[in-house]
Amino acid sequence: MLRLLARLLRVLNSETNPGQISLGFCLAMVAGLTPFVSLHNLVVLLLILILRVNLSAFLLGVAVFSGLAYLLDPLFHWNGLQILTASSLEGLWTSLYSTTLWRLARFNNTIVMGSVAFSLVLFVPLYVLSNSLVRRYREHVLAWVEKTRLMQFFKASKVYHLYQSLPHLGGGG
Amino acid sequence: MTQPKTGMIRWWGLGVFVVFVGAMGLLWLLVVDGLVKTKIEEEGTAAVGAKVELGAADLTLFPAGLALTRLQVTNPDEPMTNSVEIASLTMNLDGLQLLRRKVIIDEMTVEGVRFGTARAISGAIDDRAQSAAVGQSKEDSTFSLPPLEVPNVQQILEQEDLETLKLIRAIQEDIQREREVWKQRLETLPGKAEFAKYQKRIEGLKSSTKGGVGGVLGSVEELKAIKQEIEQDLENLKSARKEFNEKVALLNQRMAQVQTAPQRDVQRLKEKYSLSPQGLANLGQTLLGKHIGEKLKDAFAYYEMVQPYLEGMEAEGGSTKKQSGPMRGEGEDIHFKEHEPLPEFLIRLAKISLLLDIGELSGRIENLTPNQGILGLPLTFAFAGEQLKDLQDVTIEGVLDHRDAVQPQDTIQFRAKWYRIQPVALSTQPNWPVALNNGFSDVTVNAELRGQAITVTGITQLSSLQVSAGKPGDTNPLTKALSGAVSDISTLSVQADVTGTLQQYEVQIHSELDRLLKDAAGKMVKNLAASFGRDLQSAISAKVTEPLKSLTSSFGGLDSLGGDLTSRLTKENNLLEGLLKEGLPKKVLPKGLTDKLPGGLKLPF
Repeated sequence: MLRLLARLLRVLNSETNPGQISLGFCLAMVAGLTPFVSLHNLVVLLLILILRVNLSAFLLGVAVFSGLAYLLDPLFHWNGLQILTASSLEGLWTSLYSTTLWRLARFNNTIVMGSVAFSLVLFVPLYVLSNSLVRRYREHVLAWVEKTRLMQFFKASKVYHLYQSLPHLGGGG
Repeated sequence: MTQPKTGMIRWWGLGVFVVFVGAMGLLWLLVVDGLVKTKIEEEGTAAVGAKVELGAADLTLFPAGLALTRLQVTNPDEPMTNSVEIASLTMNLDGLQLLRRKVIIDEMTVEGVRFGTARAISGAIDDRAQSAAVGQSKEDSTFSLPPLEVPNVQQILEQEDLETLKLIRAIQEDIQREREVWKQRLETLPGKAEFAKYQKRIEGLKSSTKGGVGGVLGSVEELKAIKQEIEQDLENLKSARKEFNEKVALLNQRMAQVQTAPQRDVQRLKEKYSLSPQGLANLGQTLLGKHIGEKLKDAFAYYEMVQPYLEGMEAEGGSTKKQSGPMRGEGEDIHFKEHEPLPEFLIRLAKISLLLDIGELSGRIENLTPNQGILGLPLTFAFAGEQLKDLQDVTIEGVLDHRDAVQPQDTIQFRAKWYRIQPVALSTQPNWPVALNNGFSDVTVNAELRGQAITVTGITQLSSLQVSAGKPGDTNPLTKALSGAVSDISTLSVQADVTGTLQQYEVQIHSELDRLLKDAAGKMVKNLAASFGRDLQSAISAKVTEPLKSLTSSFGGLDSLGGDLTSRLTKENNLLEGLLKEGLPKKVLPKGLTDKLPGGLKLPF
């Protein structure tokens, strides 16, 4: 975790494209909030690897969102139940239920459906918000943070030495 | 600081993805056999309640299939024995349905099925007591031989407590108690002393010399008070008499019961000790019922073991809650209608080879699923074996139709030909042991279960029978006659009819045995029973005569109390009526006021 934090700090303080960091967070939200061993997470993994997104942001995001998912599970269950039992969508679900691929994706599970719907709805807003926060951080906070006693203390710490020891991999992580 | 790389796609990521997925697939292939084995053992153990062990599992993907070797299912009641042990199971799976989380086995071959094999180590998983929850037939209480000894009346009366005597004692105690109660009660009721007081008060009124309006009004008030007191006394006496009469009526009823009680005692003791022609008529059921009942119990136990696996656990379009584990990642699966609905688990065809003590039976089971309602087809099975040990041939076939889970309809037919009967004790009663030593039987059984109601009809033709009965040197004429009849039997036809439910059923057995025994000993039994009845009647009559006389005398004692009560009531009534009729008001009161007396001084009786 320390290594991950160090890497994230490095990325935030680097010139890595904010969009890459935000996309990493957003995909982490999908992977973290939904049941991990699911077909859709294989798609997420493919996107993570094939798109130039920040892996550090993704990994840290997965850790954070997985923890959050335990708290949100009742909400996901309720959410999924509402979606799957909505009479207007019954035809769609009945059609998908007869399809092997969708059955394999376990779309008819309340937690899967609820968490996927929840994370997809929040995907774009989180991307925009995350982008904005990274930019603001770099414009207004980074210089101030560098000068703070806390940062000075941090630079002298084991974490910072760890951060310094990391190879220069570039924005893509 | 590093320079950001340009372009949205990194192609090497695709290679990593492919390698990652490939590695995961390879890892899965390496561990999947172990996972399947563990899963089967865990699920099986949980379902059976004792260890389920598997030698090995081998899952193949192309074509999809699974092979299991040496499956052992421990008998939960006997942990050192396997209920069933299967040498090998191979099955072809529908791969596409497997991806849809449905286990559809197109064909399964089960070889080397053995029952009751010994285990090297115990298969118990806990110390819980196992008890067979199989139905209880009524046979346990009814399948006992009737007494075959000629009963001794005097001995019986010494052992038995007669109901008549019990009743007499109870009534006598009640009469005594009532007598005491009413003696005390009469002391509290108005008697001679009270009558004298009333008389004195009335005489006082008659001789009253006070004049004027005040005197007249005083007399009227006194007269009114006397009248009210007498009315109250009369009410108390009438109420007591009514209560007394009710008590006496109740005792009278019980006295009437006492009169018929000796007859009831005779009947009860006759039924208990006497040989009856009816008891002899049921001797066939008594001798054969226990053994047929045991076979039924075993059959029902097997059926009840299978039954849960036939019951639908989810209805089409319904939902299955899976809340046993943690909430995370579990949720609830919502089911929708499928174009071609299939149950979660289905074996379309299982070819089975059973290795029994008597030899090999082979057969097939079709449409084995816990969700017949979804499949729309019932389970069918058929097994057969020929040239077996002690059995020429056997077939068992049936249809277990649980498409309607509430009203299942199961039918099973069993046929066995030329089965060599093993030696068996039909009666272990010391004074009349009966053993079937040898013989052959052809058996046909038709069983049907509709909902909870079970109907079984079993017919067996027994032949070449060798039956031994009785003990050496038997002097009892009855058992000697029965032994002779039974030993001569070489062929016999027996029909068993079972009705009821799996939990509570009744077995009726009909055979020629009843007629044979009746012919042999029926008349003797009838005469013995009649003689015993007469002796019993005389002995009981003699024993209860004196207590009955004593009871009648005690009851008569209550009459004096009733007479006393009636006498008091009459005396008071007459006294008051007489006094008032003497024209007391006219003497005491001026003319014109008598009509205004309260109530007109009319007596209340």
